Amino acid sequence: MTRTAEQTELREAVSLDRPWVTLVWDDPVNLMSYVAYVFRSYFGVTPEQAERLMLQVHNTGRAVVATGNRESMERHVEAMHGYGLWATLAKAEE
Amino acid sequence: MSGPQRFIPQESGVLLGRFAPMEADLLRLATTQLLEMLDSGAADLGVAASDGVFGRLLPAAYRDDDEAAAEFRRFTAPGLLERKAQNAQIVLGSLGVGAGETDAATQTDSADRQPVTIILDEGAVQAWLRSLTDLRLTLADRLQISPDGIVHLEGADTPFLRELYEWLGMLQEDLVYAIDV
Repeated sequence: MTRTAEQTELREAVSLDRPWVTLVWDDPVNLMSYVAYVFRSYFGVTPEQAERLMLQVHNTGRAVVATGNRESMERHVEAMHGYGLWATLAKAEE
Repeated sequence: MSGPQRFIPQESGVLLGRFAPMEADLLRLATTQLLEMLDSGAADLGVAASDGVFGRLLPAAYRDDDEAAAEFRRFTAPGLLERKAQNAQIVLGSLGVGAGETDAATQTDSADRQPVTIILDEGAVQAWLRSLTDLRLTLADRLQISPDGIVHLEGADTPFLRELYEWLGMLQEDLVYAIDV
């Protein structure tokens, strides 16, 4: 009994701590070269990583570009909107 | 259509850009209109919160939580609109400074107008990249471009707007490649 309760509590705690993610969505306007540039210059990823993320956005419709707490994800989303990219934040999927 | 390289990096770190007089006029006109639209949104955030072009310039930050999206917009829209307007101002400034154009030259509709040379430092490049994006987002809304990239606007303006949209894209790509290290 005790054990089960503890496990439930642990699961809830983990679920509460589930991080947030910043998503960038595919749109018909932004150029692939520009999107890769934004990932490189803003998130500081390598050109290869930026290219991979950009292609993921292009091919699958979206990509997770950052993970962390809600406040920092909101900051990233605001920055992406400044660049004109279509970005949202959400709780990370389990 | 691809002429000589549009933006040329200088040893000092700035970019030198060259525009035909008509190109510079067009970019000035489009940017001035963008600025007016941004100012109207900043003056009335209720307008900015509505659909249409502002929905794309300031997209909902939360897809499944309208309340959180509205709050995010309330907190971020004024600053974002202000920065977008500043970027547009910088573009207009670059096109004015060093343009070698007087009012008389602007009004002269002759072939002897000189190409416009602009100088972009690092800050101006960032403003240009963002403002070109805002211009394209605005035009895409006007052209009713659907997610698959198809233009749905049918009107006398469509060919011109479409050409402008494509040209701004080429300009932006030239700029990205010019600063790509």
